[in-house]
Amino acid sequence: MNKKEMSRSRRKEILNSIIAIIITILFLFPIYWLVQISFKSDTETFGKVLTYYPREFTFGPWLVNLTDKNFLLSLRNSFVNAALTMLITVVLGVPAAYGMGRYKVKGSNLFLLTFLVSQMLPASLTLTPMYLIFNKVGLLGHHITAPIAIAASSIPFAVVTLRPYFKSVPMALDEAARLDGCGPLKAFTHVMIPAVKTGIITILVISFLNGWNDLIFSMTFNVGAEMRPLTANIYKFQNAYGTKWNCIMAYGTILVIPVVLMFIFLQKYIVGGLTAGAVKD
Amino acid sequence: MKLKKLLALSLVAVMGMSIVACGSSATESAAPAEDNGAAAEAPAKEEAASGDVTEVELWHYFDASADAKAIVDWVDEYNSLQNDIHITATYVSREELMNQYTIGALSGELPDIGMVDSPDMASYISLGVFEDITSQLNEWGELDKFYPGPLSSCMDADGNLYGLPQNSNCLALACNMDLLKAAGYDHMPESLDEFKEMVAATTNPADDVYGYAMCAVSTEEGTFQLLPWLRSKENGKGVNVDDLTADSAVNGLTVLGDFVKNGYMSKEAVNWTQADAWNAFAAGKAAMVECGTWHLAQTDAIAGFDYDFCLLPTGDKGTSTSTIGGENFGICSGAENLDACVDFLTWLCSKEKEGEWAVTAGKIPTRSDSVANYDYEQDGFAVFVDEMNYAQARGPHAEWPRISEAVYTACQSVFVDGTDPKDALTKAMETIKPIVDANPLPET
Amino acid sequence: MKKRTIIAQKRREAYGFILPAFLYVLLVMGYPLVYNVILSFKNVDVKNLTKGGSVFVGFQNYIDLFADPTFRLVLKNTFVFTIACLVFQFTIGFAFAMFFYQKFKLAGPIRGMILVSYMMPMAVTGLLGKNIFSNAGLINNLLLKIGIVGPEWLVDTGTAMIAVIVMNCWVGIPFNMLLLISGLTSIPSEVYESASIDGANWGQRFLHITLPMMKGSIFSVLMLGFIYTFRAFDLMYIMTSGGPLNSTDVLGTYSYLLSFTQYQFSKGAAVAMVLFVCLFAVGLFYLRLLIKEDD
Repeated sequence: MNKKEMSRSRRKEILNSIIAIIITILFLFPIYWLVQISFKSDTETFGKVLTYYPREFTFGPWLVNLTDKNFLLSLRNSFVNAALTMLITVVLGVPAAYGMGRYKVKGSNLFLLTFLVSQMLPASLTLTPMYLIFNKVGLLGHHITAPIAIAASSIPFAVVTLRPYFKSVPMALDEAARLDGCGPLKAFTHVMIPAVKTGIITILVISFLNGWNDLIFSMTFNVGAEMRPLTANIYKFQNAYGTKWNCIMAYGTILVIPVVLMFIFLQKYIVGGLTAGAVKD
Repeated sequence: MKLKKLLALSLVAVMGMSIVACGSSATESAAPAEDNGAAAEAPAKEEAASGDVTEVELWHYFDASADAKAIVDWVDEYNSLQNDIHITATYVSREELMNQYTIGALSGELPDIGMVDSPDMASYISLGVFEDITSQLNEWGELDKFYPGPLSSCMDADGNLYGLPQNSNCLALACNMDLLKAAGYDHMPESLDEFKEMVAATTNPADDVYGYAMCAVSTEEGTFQLLPWLRSKENGKGVNVDDLTADSAVNGLTVLGDFVKNGYMSKEAVNWTQADAWNAFAAGKAAMVECGTWHLAQTDAIAGFDYDFCLLPTGDKGTSTSTIGGENFGICSGAENLDACVDFLTWLCSKEKEGEWAVTAGKIPTRSDSVANYDYEQDGFAVFVDEMNYAQARGPHAEWPRISEAVYTACQSVFVDGTDPKDALTKAMETIKPIVDANPLPET
Repeated sequence: MKKRTIIAQKRREAYGFILPAFLYVLLVMGYPLVYNVILSFKNVDVKNLTKGGSVFVGFQNYIDLFADPTFRLVLKNTFVFTIACLVFQFTIGFAFAMFFYQKFKLAGPIRGMILVSYMMPMAVTGLLGKNIFSNAGLINNLLLKIGIVGPEWLVDTGTAMIAVIVMNCWVGIPFNMLLLISGLTSIPSEVYESASIDGANWGQRFLHITLPMMKGSIFSVLMLGFIYTFRAFDLMYIMTSGGPLNSTDVLGTYSYLLSFTQYQFSKGAAVAMVLFVCLFAVGLFYLRLLIKEDD
């Protein structure tokens, strides 16, 4: 690499960084807005004048959320929801995507259509019939119930998004593995999964989020207070006595933080694909 | 290789978590679902002592700090008063509770006792959510002490009872006396005509002050606040929702529509809940607001001005109209411990308890023999108690939600699109008429 | 003979991978679908849900719906919302994906940060939208700073939909970006390298390499985007409750209103079935594209 090229790539780096920062500021301004409201007092939130930062900085809204006596329990429930959803989705969805991307079998179009069709009713309308079945098989009131329902829409998502990736992996790759004496399962786990790992991480993230952010299924299938996820707390701040903007915003921020932390953790230790520069690898 | 580590890691983590989860869920579900803490220990001891305790599960949606705490305390009190029945109170948000009733009607999975907003009760009775307890309540012998309005909301069309009204409320007008004084008034409005004048006079766009604020949101809350104006009494005559094209109703809506048109009332009313409208008033952004009895417990939010309450000036001088609100408790279909449920219900709605609750939660007792010794805002409560004489129930009607939608839609189209009030109400009647023709509203 | 056993073997393998997920989804989602289909052809409402006496009424619910101007408005809203959201979130999402796919130091962290709007629970996003688009909210305050008196976003029937679309795109853009970046990653870098050597410029590389190589992921992103946007519910439910005057009501919220607020269960199911049929048609179209691609 000569000097001229280096300064060119340097200029490009700077230009890109500037554009990136502008995008971030514009795109994340609502997030800033949300966070700053979460540090405002009640009077300032309802005040006559719109303020762009808290004049009177308070942790009150955060404490209202964090000192809720069920906070840790709800946090755990949310994690269980998210983790179980992710587990079911990955264990069932990834192999299915592989099977449909790599094999040509009769009925694969029918399979794909079925997966798509299963997404075509709004969650609110599948609630009642699902409740009726879960009730019949005695699943209500268990931690696994909501994830079962949520995963039923995450799996098709995984299949539809991962299928093209599996398809785009050169055939030679798993043929070589087969020649090396790998069985189909081993070829799948040792060769194919690493080949589409960015896609799989995306699925991990999204299915985790689906479980983390679920409200309607968790609430409907498990009424008990000790079964409620964090998302259910929204009702505490939006009720007949008003919308507590500052508490809601603190609540939103608190809900996102564990996910962001998880991201940072993933990024640092494991994920090459999702967050680092992706061209190589 | 890194990926494998990730998968292995997350697998282990997930399995660990699910083991923890399953383990703890098993132990927890054995104990009664506890919502607001504290109570767990005492009843557990009693149970051990008596051995044969009837368990009753109660679901409620009290979520303001005062009543959310009160229901827990009261349940504890009841549990400690006797050894045969143990009540467990669980908070379920109002919306979720409504869905649970609807789904529960089909699945049969319902609590033993459930709380319900009074206008919704008729629908749930029709859906089969609640048990007919007429004979048990007749045996109790205190039914004649209840005000007929709230009690009627627990009945089906044949007069059978499915529960008891636990608290009641209505709507009145709150005024910012400082703003009224600044506009040259030393009293509150007494008639619709005077109200119109005062709303116009107190509006001050330069200070972002509207003369009047209310809730006209597209839910039952909106209907609740809109109805007094549609049922307004003009020249001694008013109508119910089965005759909304009558002049008095059209006039009532025209007044509100003109407020919006002239900038005396924010168009945002169509998105405002009652709490939003009250907050606007409390922050000094509206000179007058239509408010509920429960707001008397929230006057501490008022930002340093003189305030007072009066009857809703919806029509002729010396009269008023308002809407009855409140919550009922019913015993759900399939409750195996019916007698225990009735016992708790009659305790909850007893003479003394009704009075106590009204003070705690800022409501009005549903019984004529109850005395509520309000230790705050006594004058305000006096206004609301007086207003109850003019307040009308919504329905009861199994298809009230459809009637309600027609009502708020008509009003919103006047506020938002400037539709002619008469046309808007005529359109509403196209929906309402077939419904009330098939099943008439009860006589008021 | 041997070839046949290999084929049979392959088929067994394929089914072994696919069937568990297939059966799972069928078990969980099959009944709700059948349940709604049946319900939509009956006359179940508040009076006869549990007391009996509901009957099959054929297509009556559908006929009633299409005769109802509110439903026609809701149907139109759903398409306007879906198409507008798809156009903006896909193009901007794709642009973001291309941009942040480049190698520069900030690309990674910022890409992660942008995802925060997607991580937020929809209920919070809806409330945030309600807050910033209120009359004296952030948006109008900013507009005022540059001398524009903003509209009453959530009060006006003409502007409420715009506000809802903006909020939805804010969530949808990172979602599209995330999926498209994974698509970009699956293009082997050698392909680009050889193209650069051949002297292809940026536009040519995009048109002749990126787009064709991404076809599979683009189709699937658009298809999923369509499904998720078309059946939207939470955002409107929280941000506008479908109002004012049904101007932001979509099939999802309307079917919920009918079923869970008005207890017109069969009508609500019929609305859900209309939603379903529209999506089914799009699904078939997607499938045809895939089959064509396979040939």
